[in-house]
Parts: sequence; C-alpha cells; structure tokens
Amino acid sequence: MKKIVLVISIFVLILITSLIKNSTKKIEDKLFVINENIRLLKSELGDVLLEYNYLSSPEKLLQHQTNYFENDLVQMNIIKMKKITLDNNDLIITDLTKNQKDNE
Amino acid sequence: MNKRNNENIVLEEYEIEFSYKKSKSNLNIQFNRIAFIFFIIFIISIIYTIQLLHLGSLNLDNKTQTISSNKINYRADIVDNNGNYLVKTVSTIDIGINPVEIINKKHLLVMISYIFPNKDIREIKKKIDKKKFFYLEKNIKPEHYKEVMLLGDKSIKSSERLTRLYPQKNLFSHIIGQIDDDNTGISGIEKSFDDELKIIKEPLKLTVDTDIQFLIREELVRFQPIFQNKGSAAILMDVNNGNILSMVSLPDFDLNKRKDINDVNYINRATKGVYELGSVFKTFTIAAGLNEGVIEPETEFKDLPKSLKCAKRPIREYDDKMPTDLTASQILIQSGNIGAVRIAQRVGLEKFPSFLESLGLMNKIKFDIEEVGKPISFRWGKCRLATASFGHGITTTPLQLAKGYSIVTNGGYDITPTLIKKNSLNKKKRILNNQVSKKLNPILRKIVSSKDGTANFANINGYEIGGKTGTAQKSVNGVYSNFKVNTFAAVFPMSKPKFVLIVLLDEPKANKEYIYYFKDGSGWKHKGNWRNTAGWTSVEVAGKIIEKIGPILATKYMEVK
Repeated sequence: MKKIVLVISIFVLILITSLIKNSTKKIEDKLFVINENIRLLKSELGDVLLEYNYLSSPEKLLQHQTNYFENDLVQMNIIKMKKITLDNNDLIITDLTKNQKDNE
Repeated sequence: MNKRNNENIVLEEYEIEFSYKKSKSNLNIQFNRIAFIFFIIFIISIIYTIQLLHLGSLNLDNKTQTISSNKINYRADIVDNNGNYLVKTVSTIDIGINPVEIINKKHLLVMISYIFPNKDIREIKKKIDKKKFFYLEKNIKPEHYKEVMLLGDKSIKSSERLTRLYPQKNLFSHIIGQIDDDNTGISGIEKSFDDELKIIKEPLKLTVDTDIQFLIREELVRFQPIFQNKGSAAILMDVNNGNILSMVSLPDFDLNKRKDINDVNYINRATKGVYELGSVFKTFTIAAGLNEGVIEPETEFKDLPKSLKCAKRPIREYDDKMPTDLTASQILIQSGNIGAVRIAQRVGLEKFPSFLESLGLMNKIKFDIEEVGKPISFRWGKCRLATASFGHGITTTPLQLAKGYSIVTNGGYDITPTLIKKNSLNKKKRILNNQVSKKLNPILRKIVSSKDGTANFANINGYEIGGKTGTAQKSVNGVYSNFKVNTFAAVFPMSKPKFVLIVLLDEPKANKEYIYYFKDGSGWKHKGNWRNTAGWTSVEVAGKIIEKIGPILATKYMEVK
C-alpha cells in the first residue's frame, strides 16, 4: 500500500510540475511579447528624444532667436533674478544675489 | 555396460541443468503486477520529465545566444547631466555587391542608375568588372533600401552596422572621442569606457552641461580672431566634488565626420597640454605659506629687491613699479615675483614640493579619459624653488590647475576631477589646514575687485569672482620664445566657492582695436590692450564667459546668497 501511495504521489507531482511548467511558459511568452513592445517603444522614444535634442540644441535655439525673435529673447541679468520661497503659506520673494555695489 | 551407465549419468546431469533454467524464468513472473505497471509508468514519467527539462534548457540557450549576438552590435548611448543625448547609437544598413553572383549585369546597372541617379555608373561598372565585393551604398536610406532589395538580384548583399550619431557635433569632441569600424573606442570616453559601453543597459551619464559647454565654446571661438590665438582651453568644475560641467579645447572637430586627425594643434589642451602657467602658481605659494604657518596675509616683506640672481640667471619683477614693501596678500594681489620667492624660501625646500604634490600638480593625474599630459619632472634645488614659486620652470596641465585651485579654495578638501556622474558622494578628506581657504579666498577676490589687482575685467556684478592671472613665455624645444600662454584661474562666488573656471589662451597676440570696458564703476572704456598679458586677454574672455553662463549656474547649480 505504501508503495502505491509513493508512486501515485510521485506521478501526481510530476503531472503538477509539467502543468506549472506549461503555464509558466505561457507567462514567459507574454513577458517576451511585452518586453519586445517596450524595446520598440524605447527605441522610438530614443529617436524622438534625439530629434528633440537636436532641434532644441543651443546652436539651433540661437539660430531661431536671430531668425524670428531678435530682441524678444534677451540674456537675463543675475541681479534682476528673484528667488521665491514658501514659508507658512507665505510667498517670500528675495533677490537671487545682491548687487556688488550694495555690499561695498 | 559401464559405458552405458556413464551415459545415463550424463543424461541426469543434463536434466538437472534444464530444471535450473526453468526455475530462473520463474523468477521474472514473481513481480507484483500492479507494482510492475506503476514502474513502467514511472519510467515513462521520468523520460517525460527529462524531455521537459531538456526543452527548458534549450530555450535558455536560445535566449543567451540572442543576447550575445546583440552585444556585438550594441554600444550604450552617452547623455549629459540633464539627460540630453551627446552620443546616440543607431543601426544602419550598408548595401554591397558581390559581382560573381550577378544574374543580369546590364539590368542591374540600369536599375542602380535609376535608384541612385547621382552615382557614377562607370565607376560601378569598373568595380563589377574587378569581380571583387564592394560597397554600393553605406548607411542607405530606407526608401532606397526597399527599392534595391526589390531588384531581387542575389549579388546584392545587405549588412547591418552600428553607427554613432553626435547631435552636438564639435561640442564634446575632445571629451567623447571616437570609435573605429569594429565598435572599439579609440579616444576619449569611448576608449576609456569601451568595455562598460558594450555592457551597460542605461546610457552613460556625464557631468557636463550642453548649454554651458556651448556658451563657453562660443566665447572662446568669438575671441580667437580677436587675440589671434593658436588654440584655447577652458574648464568649469565644481570645487566641492570635482564634477566637470564643461571642458572645451580649441581647435576641435566634428565627430560625425570621423576624420583621422594627426595635427598636434588638435590635442586636448585642457588635459593633454602641459604648460608653464606662470603667476597662477603664486596662489599655491601663498597657500603653502599659510598651510605651514610661516606667513599670515598681513605678514610684511620689507626691502624686496627689484631683481635676484640664481645660478647667474636674473629673477625680475614684471613691473618696475612694484613696491619694495609688500604684505603677503599684496604680493599675490600685485603679482610680485620676488615676494613669492621669499615666501617659498620660508616654506622651505622640503615642504614646498610636497605641498604641490599633495595638490596633484606634479604628477600625471588619473582621469576619466586617457588623453592626459604628464608634467615635466625635474630635480628640486634652491633656484628651482625660487622660480617655481612664481610659476616658472614648473609645468602642469589646466586640469590639474583646476584641481589645485579647487582644493585651496574649498576648505582644503581633496577632490578628484571627473566627467562621470556618480550617484553616491565620496567622503571628503581634508588635506590642508582649514584656515588656508578662509585667509586665501579674500585675497583672490581682491585680485579681481581692487584696482591694484590684475583681473579687474572679470569683476562681473553679482558673481563675487576671485582668481589669479598667469602670463608665461612659451618654451619651444627648451628655449623660451616670444610666444605666450595666458591663463586666468577664476573661482566664484568667493563667499562660498562653488566653481572654478580656467581659461587658457595659447599664443595670443595684442589687439589694438578691441574695446575694453572697465569694471571699476568708472564707466571708462579703452581701445586696444596695453600689454599682451593674461589680465588683458584671458581675464576678458573669462569675464564674458561668466556673464553668459552665470544665470544658468545660478538657477540650476547653485543657490546664491
């Protein structure tokens, strides 16, 4: 009787293993398809980013400035820059840097 | 009769043997029938399991095969500090023809001339006649690829190739470097990180900033015809962690064109160029004096002579109007040579060289690219100590100069210049007395802010710039020439140093037409430079650079008080 139980249990375990293996193979296939899709999307994103980097490169932006904006885009003076901080729901605006002449 | 009896005995023996065999066959049918059936099933199951395992292992093998085959055609991208592409890998297709396999030569030539109207068909015909494989079109356009493959000629061979695109063209040529046709780096980051780039899945992130790099390069390019310099270099580095935000060396080259460059003028001046940098070394002399406790900023040096002689060679002040009584800080502000010699003599022949070594100025530096220069070694003596105190007879690279200035101004902490963005911060190790920076930084600020200083053109409002100028005669084959190397080492903001900017102009000339605007609040302007010194050349360039990059640095990289 013991032998029968042992053999049956081994047989059942083998059956279960093969069933699990089968189901994991299906999951693996799904994962493979998803990974491939992600890879393609990443590749597309990379190409789009490359295009964006090229079109928004400093060289291109300066070309656009001279062609279309001329005096509309001017370099910011650090003295005119302000810093905004939130303190107890109050907005505090301070100078980013102090004028050298004020310090002297 | 006896014989017969014997025969009978033999027969009996035979019978015994026969009965034995019979009993053996009886053993086979002694198995329990059910156990036997299960045993068979068990064997079948084992075979089935082995088969399953075998299939599983086969799949794994296939995966590894695809990964390894991908690796041959793989090279990771390189991005800047903000994630902008500096290098992007794309796969391209090359089309070649194997003349031996051509089906119809005339038809093929007609179709090629139709698809590629700009190609010289005679040349292609000549190549076909040579009966050797040749490339018809490298990096073919997708529409042309389709048309060519639809010809259906089996002599047409396509091969996929890895191509590196450099969207920033010249901007990072000396940093990035190049690869060869076999996907092997041959210079710059491409060479020193060759193995990593073939393995890592994410792009390699650098510390450089494309916008800042562009603005610095633009200024260097703009000033090249003004001062007619042979070349120039600039390094912008974080003094607290050694991260290099920008490193430019001119002339540079477009990486997309993949040229073999043999002209020495194209070397990376920022890292490979080894120069005598002149008075920028006086900062280290003062720092050594402060570190060893032999001077204070107010220490007075009286009756300083106008010239000294060492080994029958004179050491003079660059300006005859140099006062004879100077404090240590005035020696640095007014760039006194004799005063610097006196300070170095106080530090001594044992401690001064080891101080310079601790700043990483004397030996070849370990860096992220292999194109690094080695300072010329020499034997220390009394005369060498004297000349090295004001930056003559001692060489180093602009990269090492940036490192030295970082250490003496950041509180005395050692840093390692790097181009690679690291997630973890290295532990800071203090190598200088903590008072050195506190005492030295206000002096460096005065060199830029006071009228006595030599770098007033860099006194840009809002940045608290400090620094030191250095004008040195260039040595050609061991003999000093009339050519100069003008350097300005700027640190800002001096109240809490964050950045060091080195600007080096190689062989600049005086310009009589350029208009200078004084930054002392007088509103004066002056046409033409009086002297071909760093104060009139490199300082002006550095000032313009900081004016341009300052707003980006202030908003992206630092918090200005």
